[in-house]
Amino acid sequence: MKAPNDLVSGIQESIRRNARYALGKEWAELSRYERFVAVALAARDRMVDGMLATEERYREQDPKRLYYLCIEFLIGQSLANNLRNLGIREACRQAVSNLGADLEEIEDSEPDAALGNGGLGRLAACFLDSLATLGMPTCGYGINYEYGLFKQEIDDGYQRERPDNWLAQSSPWQIARTDEACLVPVYGRIVHEADRHGAYNPMWMDWKVLIGVPYDMLIPGYGGRTVHCLRLYSARSSRDFDMRIFNDGDYFKAVEQKIASETITKVLYPSDAVIAGRELRLVQEYFLVACALRDIVRRFEESHSDFRELPAKTAIQMNDAHPALAVAELMRILIDEKDLRWSKAWEITRATLSYTNHTLAPEALEKWLVPLLEGTLPRHLQIIYEINRRFLKQVAVALPADEPRMARMSLIEESSPKRVRMVNLAIVGSHATNGVSAMQTDMLQSLLVPDLYQLWPERFSHKTNGITQRRWLLGANPLLADLVSETIGDGWITDLQQLRGLEPFAADSAFQAAFGRIKRVNKEKLAAIIRDRSHVKVDPDSLFDIQAKRIHAYKRQLLNILHIVYEYLALVEDGEEPATPRTYVFAGKAAPGYWYAKQVIKLIHDVARVVNADGRAQPWIKVAFLSDYRVSLAEKTIPAADLSEQISTAGTEASGTSSMKFALNGAVTIATLDGANIEILDDVGGDNMFVFGLEVADLHAMHGKRSYRPRDLYDDDPRVKRMAQAFTSGLFSPEEPGLFSWVLQTILNPNDEYCHLADLPTYLEAHRNAAEAFKDPGRWMRTAILNVARIGRFSSDRAVLEYARDIWDLKQV
Amino acid sequence: MQISVDRVNDVTVALIPVEELDASNAAEFKRDVARILAADTQLVIDFSRLRFIDSSGLGVMLSCLRQMSARGGDLKLCGMSKQVRATFELVRMHRIFDIFPTCEEAVGAFSD
Repeated sequence: MKAPNDLVSGIQESIRRNARYALGKEWAELSRYERFVAVALAARDRMVDGMLATEERYREQDPKRLYYLCIEFLIGQSLANNLRNLGIREACRQAVSNLGADLEEIEDSEPDAALGNGGLGRLAACFLDSLATLGMPTCGYGINYEYGLFKQEIDDGYQRERPDNWLAQSSPWQIARTDEACLVPVYGRIVHEADRHGAYNPMWMDWKVLIGVPYDMLIPGYGGRTVHCLRLYSARSSRDFDMRIFNDGDYFKAVEQKIASETITKVLYPSDAVIAGRELRLVQEYFLVACALRDIVRRFEESHSDFRELPAKTAIQMNDAHPALAVAELMRILIDEKDLRWSKAWEITRATLSYTNHTLAPEALEKWLVPLLEGTLPRHLQIIYEINRRFLKQVAVALPADEPRMARMSLIEESSPKRVRMVNLAIVGSHATNGVSAMQTDMLQSLLVPDLYQLWPERFSHKTNGITQRRWLLGANPLLADLVSETIGDGWITDLQQLRGLEPFAADSAFQAAFGRIKRVNKEKLAAIIRDRSHVKVDPDSLFDIQAKRIHAYKRQLLNILHIVYEYLALVEDGEEPATPRTYVFAGKAAPGYWYAKQVIKLIHDVARVVNADGRAQPWIKVAFLSDYRVSLAEKTIPAADLSEQISTAGTEASGTSSMKFALNGAVTIATLDGANIEILDDVGGDNMFVFGLEVADLHAMHGKRSYRPRDLYDDDPRVKRMAQAFTSGLFSPEEPGLFSWVLQTILNPNDEYCHLADLPTYLEAHRNAAEAFKDPGRWMRTAILNVARIGRFSSDRAVLEYARDIWDLKQV
Repeated sequence: MQISVDRVNDVTVALIPVEELDASNAAEFKRDVARILAADTQLVIDFSRLRFIDSSGLGVMLSCLRQMSARGGDLKLCGMSKQVRATFELVRMHRIFDIFPTCEEAVGAFSD
């Protein structure tokens, strides 16, 4: 549909003007990246108008505001999303075309903003989109990492990390707010004095100062009426360099000090287990909290003077335990700076803060060494000790006397050296704690913090994750989005449950044909990407079986590989053809220090090399690994999937959100009963998912009785044995025969935490069922369409509305 | 550091002559203010020129207060900018100092 002429010409003029005055060139002289910048600035102009209008509206109505704290925001590319949300994408396309260029090419040249590792950061980005679309007053707070998640290259099957200097060419989306910089003290010691009235007065002295400089990224909601900010902080040293050192003649030492300060926000930690205990990470976390709270208090004080009103006007969400220091920091501000009494400050703090637990993984449950905290944040440690003292007093009254229970609940773990339990701090210091799926919340309550749950059951709830359909269907799969809108109208864009209107069309042959054509087009596009990036030729008519997510043991990419090898050997040695040709696609990054995950990537490549080169395996099996998986690549990968692998060991994936993205794009899921898969199954129906594997209760019972005997399956089933031995035979690593011996060691280990062999038989069966189903296109299309029709509950709009209703008390404005 | 000194109603008023009091000049200020501290028991330090103070500067202020108290004297502060005041509050030093918006009020407090 053509956009109105005046809109097109307005945008065209805006692009030209930005080329000239922001970039100092005429449009025709711009490089590819500069063209992106000029178009982005034209969009940003409109977003600024929207942001100012939004702020004006909020100033008039003084609503309660949400401040969403997260150490990661995985935004991806913004131009297409922003243009779409502003409702000017078509006009922009025409404007750019009038200037002799192609908008999609320009959009594709935008580097991903990868200020996050995976689910946590992407959820935060989806939530910001929903909060803006729903008009719920929000500001996001994060860190402006200079280097985001590393770029993944593959060298002889091995992952190599390259720095992601996404800000090397400064982002047009960022508006620097240097006048709103704030001072962040770190390190130092407590000087114990008495105040003027003789009362104990601890003073935090001898600290080093960091300056937090905010950069705002504007987040437009769909329709453009509401535009919010995501405020990202960069660390700067307080002076260009220490003049005294410089004057002493040691220029390099002076500069070193400057560099050390600015290191704080240099690099996103790639969720490595070795983060634990790292001082820089602690300073990063405090930097985020200190900058955010300073800004939140400043905003509050613009129109309020009584801090007792803070909870009525402010909701602060701590995402995972990274910002848990917000509890101590808010207390510090209220007591030390605003002179409130402890009890009132505590009441305000708890009422203002809430906490989401996003993971059950032990390495993610942060505990900071007390000596480290003492040296880095001495005043906060004092406050945490006092919080703990009062909390344990309360516990002693509320629950029967029980020393072990008190020890478990304490904010201080009495190890040597002692540690501060940040999850406990977040729960104790907030009024609401939620998990991100029903299953994970249940485990949080019964396994992770049962004592806290027993004390305060009313504080706990689950808020199942969701995804924004605007990026993940409207943006990523425009053909499918158009088909859906033509069929049931476009109300689904802001109310995803309307997708239910597709159900009557699931068995309609014309609709199925259109749906199937779109899937084929998407598969052809992905096949071209696979050919270009992975140098593997795949057949778009084969079943596209995709596992795209972070590489991690619990996600069990290894189980997927076991299936592939099993099928491959059955084919080449037994002549058993699979029911349907299949292309297995893997994508995802491994944390740089995670040996196992990196070995999995190497294994995938070596299995692919052997299988793809074996003429006997054609046309039945192809394997490809897509390198440098990121949001923009996900937007091309997900729409092409026929089968979505969600195969984590039950009880390990807190929620999972890729499952929702795949289903929304018409993939059928093969899944364990883990995370949000269970709730998706409830909605989509058992006939429309391939479910397998042991459930959480079975696994716990098995571990409890130590009755897991993977060797039995290995010994009893010759095909399983053959498959397993292929990893030690040198089949996939002829030049290094022992390279993959770890596979056999892992799967035969009775202590295999992720129980690969326990789930293998039912996994194989589920795959056989999926392949059989795929052979019947009508049946497959019907199933795929029903997945789309029934995934509506898993919009981040729904998730955010639940948070707003139950936790934040936030209203649409 | 040239610290200008004034005498108002038997109270010595010393103006911090720099815009920033931090690690680079705090020691110098401490050295130069010592003779002023030694000379009187009623002192006001005027912050009206100061825009930034870090923990080194705060440490010097604490040291000044202790020296004055040890001699039975009294030290008051005045003329702080919002940012400097916020830094005092951040470390709870506003609870141990008498801080006044203006020099006149600080001087006047000595006679209250």
